[in-house]
Amino acid sequence: MIEARGLTKRYERTLAVDDLSFTVRPGLVTGFLGPNGAGKTTTMRLILGLDRPTAGTVTIDGRPHRRAASPMREVSALIDARAAHGGRSARNHLLCLAQTNAISSRRVDEVLDIVGLSEVAGKRSKGFSLGMSQRLGIAAALLGDPQVLMFDEPVNGLDPEGILWIRSLMRSLAAEGRVVFVSSHLMSEMENTADHLIVVGRGRLIADCGVAEFIDRSSGQAVLVRTPSQDVLARAVAAAGGSVTRESEQLRVRGLSEDQVGDIAFANGVPVYHLAAVKVSLEQAFMELTADSVDYRAGLPVSQEA
Amino acid sequence: MAVATAGLARPAAVPALGVRAGIAGTLRSEFTKLRSVRSTYWSLILLVVAGFAWTVADCLGTAHTWPHMAAQAKVGFDATQASVTGVALFGQLVILVLGTLVLTSEYSTGMIRTSLAVMPRRAVLYWSKAAVFAAVSVVIALATSLAVFGVGQSLLRSTGQSASLSQPGALRAVLLTGFFVALSGAMAYGIGAIVRNTAGGITASFGLMFLLPQLAKALPSSWYAVVDRWLPGGDILPAITSSQSQLLNPNMFPAWGEFAVFGGYAVIMLGIGALLFSRRDA
Repeated sequence: MIEARGLTKRYERTLAVDDLSFTVRPGLVTGFLGPNGAGKTTTMRLILGLDRPTAGTVTIDGRPHRRAASPMREVSALIDARAAHGGRSARNHLLCLAQTNAISSRRVDEVLDIVGLSEVAGKRSKGFSLGMSQRLGIAAALLGDPQVLMFDEPVNGLDPEGILWIRSLMRSLAAEGRVVFVSSHLMSEMENTADHLIVVGRGRLIADCGVAEFIDRSSGQAVLVRTPSQDVLARAVAAAGGSVTRESEQLRVRGLSEDQVGDIAFANGVPVYHLAAVKVSLEQAFMELTADSVDYRAGLPVSQEA
Repeated sequence: MAVATAGLARPAAVPALGVRAGIAGTLRSEFTKLRSVRSTYWSLILLVVAGFAWTVADCLGTAHTWPHMAAQAKVGFDATQASVTGVALFGQLVILVLGTLVLTSEYSTGMIRTSLAVMPRRAVLYWSKAAVFAAVSVVIALATSLAVFGVGQSLLRSTGQSASLSQPGALRAVLLTGFFVALSGAMAYGIGAIVRNTAGGITASFGLMFLLPQLAKALPSSWYAVVDRWLPGGDILPAITSSQSQLLNPNMFPAWGEFAVFGGYAVIMLGIGALLFSRRDA
């Protein structure tokens, strides 16, 4: 279990992570969502102890990673596929990692097999494609059979087959009862993989909820109406509790369903030429949500942690 | 590709949770790192070859011109020093680069993040890496120093001046030369940890050991006479490689003293490097 409490990281003038508190639980794939620069990678670096927090704490099973007895058994991370010495062969790269934690070379061959790199194990990783480097990074993450796995933008550089492969890998790791924490800036990617979402923008927590809940809250939020009597309808809709934005040809109504808007128009004798609910795509909702996290933070509930 | 999770269910080769990862494993890991990249081999081969090349050229040349040399020039000829100077000089150049690379290459490739994730106790990582590199460079430098001594003395036999290890000061010069090279590497390692950049680290090391002593020569001579013995380069090299009990250069401490001065620099750099390595964000 990863627990962040008031986690804050300031680099000189920029506040990369701002008072983040969340819990990542075992048995689920938890998506860590936010636009580029939202502080996802920094958070993962803080979890791993690569950086020290300016304030707050983050622990893995109750301890900061720096005090882990057997670090590779406890947590592993794929943060940067290129975080390997290119002059070293894939096998030697994994071997030198394994040796620090007294993991035998048999396990090295095993993970090479799992990620499908056995045939190029003796080749220097310098010549690897991004997809192969990614697989090498995943092999390194699997070496210690860890309880907690973190993946930072894992599908980057993978072909469709590779994307499917890593998705099912993450799902099966979670199904085995492990903590799986995956960052992405792509909502669509998380939709297919994650059970739970932690959404950040500008270093702050925007949402911490189930995927289904997140989707419900973000989609189908507006109704578009085209009418010659804009003033009348706008007043009536506002009286019924909806919020109205005037756009050149139409009204955009939030907070009411299309049926309710239709009924209001009928009751007021307003002619309606066109009425449609706008299904905001997840991608759009997410972008809107994170574009200006400060304005939207109040609008979206942050689920309370027990 | 099929998802092969079968391997995950039976990681018999992984130690049980709670088995403490420690120094022994990290030392083994660092040795694997060092032996599994080509730059290590190239550097060490260069060290040996350049050391030999200098010795052969210098000693052959001396043996050749000896019969024609003025008697005055022969006074104070140090056969031991003539044979090991090349190792001290070229060995230092090479080991400075390698010592810097050992750590800075981890930063330039991004490997440092992986290394620290699997061994987050930074002091363990830092000192294991230093120890493995120091052990390898001591072995190589001492062996080369001994070997070139043998080669050099056999080339100098015709001069009647050739030395043997049992002679006073000869063994000391051979050993100090080897350790001096290894210490240079350790100092470069510390500087690499401070600078965290290959080019910057090499420049800083070379600046400290070659440029600084040259700059010091611009000082008034009375000051220079005081400062010279405390510098980490320049006249320190002939002082350490000398087999004489009395140095020609009156500014300098005797060989062991200069070796201690140089060791002091190495300890300071290693220490600052260790402190920063533990404190800074990776």
